[in-house]
Amino acid sequence: MSRLALTAEQHVDAPPEAVFALFGAGTGAGWVFDAVCDRVGVGAVVTLNAPMFGAASGPVEILGRISAVRSPSRIEIRHDQPWRGRLRVHIDPNGGGTRVRLIADLDDAGLHWLMRRRGFPVPDGPVAGTHPVGLLTSKSGSASVFASATENLAAMAVEEINADGGIDGRPMRLMVGDDATDPRLGTIEAWRLVHAGCRVIMASTTSATFSRAAHELRDSGVLMVQPVMNEGGLDGGLRVQLGERPEHQLRAAAAPMMQMAGGRRWFLAGNDYVWPRAVHTTARRVLADDGGTVVGENFAPLGTRDFAPLIESVLQSGADVVLSSFVGADLVHFERQCHAMGVRDRCRSLALALDEPTRERIGDDAAAGMWGVSGYFEQLPGPVNEAFLQRYRTTFGQFAPPVSSISESVYEAMHRYAAAVRRAGADHLGATARELRYSREDFPRGEAAVGQEPQRMFLAEATTGGFLVDLPR
Amino acid sequence: MGADAAFDALADPVRREILTLLAQRDECSAGELSEHINRVGRTAVSSHLRVLRTAGLITERRTGRFRYYSVDATGPAQEVIQLLQELFQGSLDATKAAAEQGAANDAGTGTAADGPVRRAM
Repeated sequence: MSRLALTAEQHVDAPPEAVFALFGAGTGAGWVFDAVCDRVGVGAVVTLNAPMFGAASGPVEILGRISAVRSPSRIEIRHDQPWRGRLRVHIDPNGGGTRVRLIADLDDAGLHWLMRRRGFPVPDGPVAGTHPVGLLTSKSGSASVFASATENLAAMAVEEINADGGIDGRPMRLMVGDDATDPRLGTIEAWRLVHAGCRVIMASTTSATFSRAAHELRDSGVLMVQPVMNEGGLDGGLRVQLGERPEHQLRAAAAPMMQMAGGRRWFLAGNDYVWPRAVHTTARRVLADDGGTVVGENFAPLGTRDFAPLIESVLQSGADVVLSSFVGADLVHFERQCHAMGVRDRCRSLALALDEPTRERIGDDAAAGMWGVSGYFEQLPGPVNEAFLQRYRTTFGQFAPPVSSISESVYEAMHRYAAAVRRAGADHLGATARELRYSREDFPRGEAAVGQEPQRMFLAEATTGGFLVDLPR
Repeated sequence: MGADAAFDALADPVRREILTLLAQRDECSAGELSEHINRVGRTAVSSHLRVLRTAGLITERRTGRFRYYSVDATGPAQEVIQLLQELFQGSLDATKAAAEQGAANDAGTGTAADGPVRRAM
């Protein structure tokens, strides 16, 4: 793919070593050099807070990974959100000082994203002769953390479906919308996908976006699928909710968590929208059944970055376990601050949305003492998952974000949809929806894993570099 | 200018190369551009310039028999490219200020400053 290379250059009256040392140090050396990372080394995750659209709208988080380092002259970052690209930092001696250059690749997807965000119309191109499928995901905002690998895996599924003859004799075409973790923008993007010709939308977003878009598109005649973990309640007709339910996650995790914590007092803390609220309502019931008690509860809006007051109330509550229902970047910031404020010394933490991309951004040290619970982790054994992971790495490379239950569920949903259309016919969306709910196939997480019957759940402990999954013996 | 035309224009790698060259300079003649673009000939560069101009991505200024080209800052695609370029440049300007401030502090105290403390997110 052709790319535009943007360059910026500056001469600095300081030696290259001094300039290099500023990278990742957080000393107010500009948003690129103020990259947030635990170490400047190959493989380390990095976040660049780009003040892209002025101070009023807050920074756009560019999420990536350091792919090359040569001290004191080169740093290379591969990023996946809000678009896939590469940013190179060149630091070279120049006279008595240093020449610093930034070289940023910008491809079509990046340009399209920027133009849309600036309010310019961008053509989607003709869909004639294809079977267009919409993917509503979060390329920006808090949820972009857990959505890091979602578009990759949706694209991989489409490749596989097309290699298998496509749908109805036509190649499947993926069309992507970004809700920016904002239900209002998500609804606008969902309509755009519909107007571009999509009759099905996979919504891998927060439930806040899915529920609003599902409601506002109620007369559109479009099939909307929520593959990712959700609270349910909207499933029926042309609305299909796959994914883990809080009840099943909590039933699998509550008793072992209390056993490991050596206590039964829980503090419930999460983002203020429909899914965390449903998680807490369910938790009160499930915990009571297992002999637990709730000693405190608190919510913070999506996009919160300072959790100190909330964490103070956790510490004062005397809780043994924290049920953390934050998501994405909010979960990252909450957990890092919990670690810094000493919560780990007193409590174990269970986070239903703790997945691989979120764990690595919390960091090895801060995530120690946390557990996640879901129907899929990368470490699951079995040849199907092994081949799946190998295809992902071959296609997207070693620096691509790790897969997770959230992104794997989208991969499954695309395949389920293709299979459902083949059985029900392309013109019968209602029948396709029914087929989608009840299809049984061999997926990375196991056979018939997503759907109406309760999924197998795995409790997993965050460890250095990944998860230790509690597999049934 | 419509975004459709802009994207058709940007679909070609040579046209993107021309745009990148123009983004780095204030103004360029067709001859200067041809010298920097090796993969196609002078005639092809001229026709690419015509497409870019029709799409509203660049503007043309004539002086005698010479034609000079520059990026049209009013085009949507160009606007976001310029936005990013300014964003990166602004970031480096801050790097310069921080590095030179650090160098001045070191010189003032006569000792090397402690290494920066890596912060938590």
